[in-house]
Amino acid sequence: MEYARFERTEADNLALLYGEAAKRFDDMPAFATRKSAQEWQPVTYKELYRQGLNLATGLIAYGVKARDHVGLFGDNRYEWILADYGVQLCGAADVPRGRDVSDAELKYIVDHAGITFCFAETKQLAIRLLKLQEELPALRHIVMLDPAAEPPEGVLRMQDICHKGEELRNRGDRKAEERIAGIRPDDLFTLIYTSGTTGTPKGVMLTHDNMMSQIRNLPGHHNCTDRTLSVLPIWHVFERIIEMYTISFGGCTYYSGIITLSEDMQNVEPTFMASAPRLWEKIHEKILANIKKSHPVRRLLFKIAYFLAKQYKNSEYFITNKDLKLKRQPAWKRSLLMPFHVLRWIVVLPWYGFFNAAVLERIRLGAGGSLAATISGGGALPIHIDKFFNYVGIPVLEGYGLTETSPVISVRPKLNLVVGTVGPPIKETELRIVDPETGETLFPDPACEFGGRGKRGEILVRGPQVMKGYYKEKNLTEIAIRDGWFHTGDLGMITYNDCLKILGRSKATIVLSSGENVEPEPMEMHLQQSKYIDQCMVVGQDKKFLGLLVVLNGCEFVKNGIKHRSLQELVQIPEAKELMKKEIRRLISPASGFKNYERIGDFRLLPEKFEVGKELTNLFKIKRHIVSEKYGDLINDIYSNHSPKK
Amino acid sequence: MEFPSQLLYAQDQILLALMIFIIMLGMGASLTVDDFRAVARSPKGVLTGFLSQFGLMPLIALGLSIILKLHPAFAISLILIGCLPGGTTSNMFTYFSRGSVALSISMTTASTVMALFMMPIILSLYTVGFTSQLTADMRAAGAETEFVIPTGNIISSLVLVLVPVIMGMILRKKSPGWAKTMEDTAGFLAVIVILYLILTAFVRHGGLFLQTPVTVYIATIGLGMAGFFFGYWFSRLIGMKPIFQRAISLETGIQNGPVSFAIILLSFNEPVQSQMLWLAILYSTFIVMTSSGITMYFRKHGKFDWDIYKNTQIHNRLFGNDFVTKYPPGFLPERLVNDPSQGTQPAQKR
Repeated sequence: MEYARFERTEADNLALLYGEAAKRFDDMPAFATRKSAQEWQPVTYKELYRQGLNLATGLIAYGVKARDHVGLFGDNRYEWILADYGVQLCGAADVPRGRDVSDAELKYIVDHAGITFCFAETKQLAIRLLKLQEELPALRHIVMLDPAAEPPEGVLRMQDICHKGEELRNRGDRKAEERIAGIRPDDLFTLIYTSGTTGTPKGVMLTHDNMMSQIRNLPGHHNCTDRTLSVLPIWHVFERIIEMYTISFGGCTYYSGIITLSEDMQNVEPTFMASAPRLWEKIHEKILANIKKSHPVRRLLFKIAYFLAKQYKNSEYFITNKDLKLKRQPAWKRSLLMPFHVLRWIVVLPWYGFFNAAVLERIRLGAGGSLAATISGGGALPIHIDKFFNYVGIPVLEGYGLTETSPVISVRPKLNLVVGTVGPPIKETELRIVDPETGETLFPDPACEFGGRGKRGEILVRGPQVMKGYYKEKNLTEIAIRDGWFHTGDLGMITYNDCLKILGRSKATIVLSSGENVEPEPMEMHLQQSKYIDQCMVVGQDKKFLGLLVVLNGCEFVKNGIKHRSLQELVQIPEAKELMKKEIRRLISPASGFKNYERIGDFRLLPEKFEVGKELTNLFKIKRHIVSEKYGDLINDIYSNHSPKK
Repeated sequence: MEFPSQLLYAQDQILLALMIFIIMLGMGASLTVDDFRAVARSPKGVLTGFLSQFGLMPLIALGLSIILKLHPAFAISLILIGCLPGGTTSNMFTYFSRGSVALSISMTTASTVMALFMMPIILSLYTVGFTSQLTADMRAAGAETEFVIPTGNIISSLVLVLVPVIMGMILRKKSPGWAKTMEDTAGFLAVIVILYLILTAFVRHGGLFLQTPVTVYIATIGLGMAGFFFGYWFSRLIGMKPIFQRAISLETGIQNGPVSFAIILLSFNEPVQSQMLWLAILYSTFIVMTSSGITMYFRKHGKFDWDIYKNTQIHNRLFGNDFVTKYPPGFLPERLVNDPSQGTQPAQKR
């Protein structure tokens, strides 16, 4: 099959995609593992596919059947992707989860998914599984991914299975090819248990069709000269789709990690990556800190550059109709403003051109300088971060999706960049905005003025990326998918330039006893702009007023002369509490656009940070039910001691 | 044509001198001794650059002067600009046009040194016709003098201009942080001063823009554009690869404007000085615009080969120098297959 330079490899299922990519990209590097900053170990497409076939053959010999669920517990590394190759090439599906999974979750997943064969990344994880094995009689084989460690008794090594498969293939075994030929489009390629922000884990069934539609429909032009940096957890479908997409265009994926990220960005100079808002917040902080430290002249130059970029880009967005349009703007107002923006654009252009080249380019080099696009997903990108990167010229494209939609529903394309939105839906995808109470369709509604744009409601999706259902949860599936429409549970609206704007998660909605609905997420995001607040969570379901749990940012208090040795100590200091009180009152007020009932009645300072795996999901979303449980006493305290202050 | 003899007031001249000083200091601040050594490492590129900078450009300038029948003062100025060395502006434009910055820097350093010998020779050779025309004009006006190109003065002004460059290099060695700041400030100041000069010229001699013959506009815009064009195709003819072609093209078209100001102010007198200076100002203004345009064009059209170059380079950096990136058959355009600059063959590493 002949492909044009920028065409993505297409196939009916992942296994065929892997084969096709191996044929097409042959000796090009597919994945690279970091050994040291300047030394990486590549694996070519051909080699990966060969090893994958060996593994698949070995797995078949160990009794893995077609459409079996194979556990795959571990984080980003080459062996993970090899294990995935093995599983796909023998026609099975994997059930992935990260290393940070708890024993209880592990047990639930292995039991619920009916896993008989599973991979464990490290020796530790293998030992944990061995212990659980007593309670899980169905689990027959545990295989360790880490090639360097010695496996404990009763645990197999992946290399050994590969070797076995190689021997079999040398003797003419072609069972893997038979399995590949037997894969149906609606077979699962993965079964992902979401930790989610609410309730018990649910197994999301994603099919080969789901995955292939994503590869087909993601916007962007990439080819085999692209470099993808991998930081987000691979077991999450967002990172996974980006890696599969990278395979389809022949790019190379470089495995980085949070700790080495900034160094790897300089060395790998990625052109593409999946990222999460938290990552950009960190990078933003770092850039600002560097600027603060730099020479005063430099700082001034940066300030001028940023100011000019802001003027320039805002006018550009207005002229090209890419400004955020939540409200209808009358045509006369627009035509009145147009000359101003055109004039500003022309006046600023030469200055912006110079400063962009001399100052902002150096900021961009901090992210490697070659980043053509990065999709940010897994949570809302705070608007000031979003604006910062787009002004500076690092195209952070915010996307939107859920594990259930494998995952991309919409993404801001580079050429149609409306800051503050998550862009238009990707190809083959339909959106609907529905009144969450009455179920009435608000968009698209031809009877309504402007087709229902600008109306708030729950987001419904229909498209090839929508999951097959929740595994063994027929009821839940029927609630989530009705008449082919998947109910996301998120609130949003379509802007007047046809982009989707996310307004919060309706499942997180707090209903006050007065019946007022409050979206906690926008409030939390607004509060987190304060330098004193590291993390926070708004509470108040069925209460008279809202409460707030705050994790303080210790360093800022030290700068303000409030000394302390630990967070526990800091929360006891009255000055800290007083400062916080003022800060909250400053941020949440009718002047900053909050309604009266959105006032924070009282707050409590938390003695510990929220941590990934505990209070936060891997994508840094707050697990509200966990926090509510853990700090139940504090929350009760807010409401028992106080009558709301006037 | 009546040309205002006092184009610049005394304070403007001081300002201009200060600007030249700062810009040359900034240029020096961007250079290291290693950049001079690098010249020896890429002799082919530098030689091609040399040929197009001191061979093509003066010829283009001469050709334009003859075809457009420029006034001798303008013609001499145009030829003077034609044989100037390159400046740091070209390095920045080369960077953004996805060209080889290393080659651009090498060419800048080589041409700055070479200009000491080449400029006086080329200038006196190419301007013979125009100087005699000037002399004839002056004789007709009743003057007894003969117009000659002040070769000695030109060399000494060039040497004088090199002083801040060397100071900048010392600054770079002593404090790289300061040098970086210097570089940016210099670029910023250059933009401001050129705009100031244009504006004051506009305010004081409003009619100047209308008085200036169209041919002068054509010549000042055309010199840069022709430089880009011929530099690009000449290097292609010699067999240079895209990233070097772009560097040579920009280096050929973009001349070191401030040096021309210095030479004109220090070495020439009225009645030609103002006219020469005016043309140099016009060239400096237009070249920023045209090279911005060309850079954007190069940036867009050079993306593909640049991506390949960059990717291969990173593969070699991370996977070791003997890693060979084998792009799928049919992926590389014919011209890039077996191209050493793309690093797709192990024996021909950069």
